[in-house]
Amino acid sequence: MRVALRRAAHRSLLLLGLLAVGGCAAGQESGPVTLVFKYARILGNADPLPALLRQFEAAHPGVRVKGEALPWTSDDQHQFYIINLEGRSPGFDLMMLDCIWVPEFARAGWLLDLTPSLQPDELAPYFPSAVASATYGGRVWALPWNFNVGLLYYRADLLAKYGLRPPETYEELVEQVRRIRAGERDRALDGYVWQGKQYEGLVVNVLEAFWANGARLLAEDGTIFPEPARAADALRFLRGLIVSGVSPAWTTAADEELSRRAFGDGHAIFLRNWPYAMDLFEGKDSAVRGKVAFAPLPGRARGERGVGSTGGAHLGVSRRSRHPDLALALARHLTSEAAQRAIALGAALSPTRQTLYRDPELMRDHPGMPQLLALALAGRPRPVTPYYLLLSATVQPEFSAALVGVKPPERAIAEAGTRLGFFLEAVR
Amino acid sequence: MTGREAADRRRGLVCVAPTVLALGALTVYPGVWVLWLSLQRRIPIFDVSRFAGFENYAFLAVDPRFWSAARTTAVFTLGSVALEVVLGVAAALAIHTQRRGRRLALSLLLLAWAMPAVVAAKLFEWLYHPAAGLINVALGRHAVNWLGDPLVALPAVIFADVWRTMPFVAILCYARLLAIPADVYEAAQVDGAGRLATLTRITLPLLGRILLLATLFRTLDALRAFDIMFVLTGGGPAGTTETLTVYAYRALFQTLQLGFGSAVSVVVFLLVMAVAWGYLRLLRAGAVTA
Repeated sequence: MRVALRRAAHRSLLLLGLLAVGGCAAGQESGPVTLVFKYARILGNADPLPALLRQFEAAHPGVRVKGEALPWTSDDQHQFYIINLEGRSPGFDLMMLDCIWVPEFARAGWLLDLTPSLQPDELAPYFPSAVASATYGGRVWALPWNFNVGLLYYRADLLAKYGLRPPETYEELVEQVRRIRAGERDRALDGYVWQGKQYEGLVVNVLEAFWANGARLLAEDGTIFPEPARAADALRFLRGLIVSGVSPAWTTAADEELSRRAFGDGHAIFLRNWPYAMDLFEGKDSAVRGKVAFAPLPGRARGERGVGSTGGAHLGVSRRSRHPDLALALARHLTSEAAQRAIALGAALSPTRQTLYRDPELMRDHPGMPQLLALALAGRPRPVTPYYLLLSATVQPEFSAALVGVKPPERAIAEAGTRLGFFLEAVR
Repeated sequence: MTGREAADRRRGLVCVAPTVLALGALTVYPGVWVLWLSLQRRIPIFDVSRFAGFENYAFLAVDPRFWSAARTTAVFTLGSVALEVVLGVAAALAIHTQRRGRRLALSLLLLAWAMPAVVAAKLFEWLYHPAAGLINVALGRHAVNWLGDPLVALPAVIFADVWRTMPFVAILCYARLLAIPADVYEAAQVDGAGRLATLTRITLPLLGRILLLATLFRTLDALRAFDIMFVLTGGGPAGTTETLTVYAYRALFQTLQLGFGSAVSVVVFLLVMAVAWGYLRLLRAGAVTA
């Protein structure tokens, strides 16, 4: 009995040893190179990514690219990256990054500094705000891959019926909602829908309201809420939209999809959302097909002009990649004009290269591209700081509290400031 | 001690060693490590690592978000456990008195219990959907903003949790009911006990011990509740459904504040231990028999 046990133990030890040796050997092989690319699966008619990866392999004999899917939500993706990168297990060479993570990952030392490898004018074709969010400390850490900007969608048919032009200020928007709803007498028709659930999307919506009102979340010198009174006023205005019924009560639980569906079913006049929604509104069985147009987000009367927040994904090379040159070549391939055109055609993701917005082939499918270009150029990034997630996670419940009316906006701003002070004092 | 006894003793120690080692490596070591982390300001990705004493705990003491999370945890635990016990016992009694369809009823109960929390939460997300949700469609003009109203969101989350975990209590109680001999009831009938007296004097006291156990399990689970509110509301609106574990998760995994997040975890740990200790004392004292 005892002998048998010992033998079994020896056998399993031997097996472990073999596995370890095998693992090492696999790491040193000189044959075909495998690049691992981490990205989120693309929703849309057809995922163009596999074909693009095969193209790269064809152009680089002896290189195999493995595309590995990331978890679904942005939060889960972030958690996946920080655990794997902090744990020093470099299981991947090229990573798709939400643009808000780039400064954080760069500061943590996880990204390869691309600055020395870039050609002098290589970044010129991209949107300046996309390049800004890929830059930290004067160095470039990623290549912009796809682009997002906040838009105001409106029901062109309804506005035309009442002889209205898309609103330039929120005050105008409120007035138009009153007029159209009074005329339509449709109880199911909401006015302006946007994202007020306690999550990242809420921060984006509040930032846009801040900017329209001349307020900021973070100043260049690191001051938090440099214009607290204006910030509180912007929050009060958003709360007012809900109280007055211009926005439905469920705005406080709405994310992108919830609000997109309400508008897409024909139950709202205005919607704040990203460019991806347009394709869905123009879909074959859409209730609002041919009735939707978009415009810049409104500003405030006697305030600033409206600006959409920008977002999107970048491609960064892991500093621990054993094939950094190949990984960068793959990033260049995927962000090339041809690849971005294929992605824009196959999936509803907007390019980061400006010339594509006047591309005849793309314009045939998406006639709104030139108009989108102007809005994208005017877009503004969320604060570019390594502490963005800390910032966002801290202000979310405070903004939400002001929106649902359990805290006066001034107190929400003050308490968010105190908490951020405690956390940031540790890292600065 | 004879040689044989000593050998037995040695063998006993050898046999128990793997368990002790496993517990030590998997429970005690991480526990002590978290305690140590909670006394530091530690954010590894920004190279912050310094001893901070009770700084994190001092901040928690005056942190409104922490107290709000503590209150939410308490309300959630009391509300969901109370409802689960009452409804669970009622369901067990109802099934017990049923002559036909018992198996079907039990299978349906088990189905709800076997569903992963995240799936159940997704299901309720659709039920609570403000425009297309079944509940609001049924309510028609009186539609409720289930997950976006600070007064309604927590009860809505509690209800979803009760739906999922009430079957656990019901099935435990049902098993105990089956084990009560019929002659006890016959004797009660002979003595002229009515239905209410039978329930309060016989059935419920005999269920006591199993109910205490079920309550213990459910309370400990509810104190650490995470998935249902994380999926349904993400802690909102206004943080009204943010429990201590959700708060700890946000600090630990979303913003990587290992020191501060550990301090929140230590509080949750102490809370769970205190409650478990209270229950175990009740169980041991034999306050409830049968």
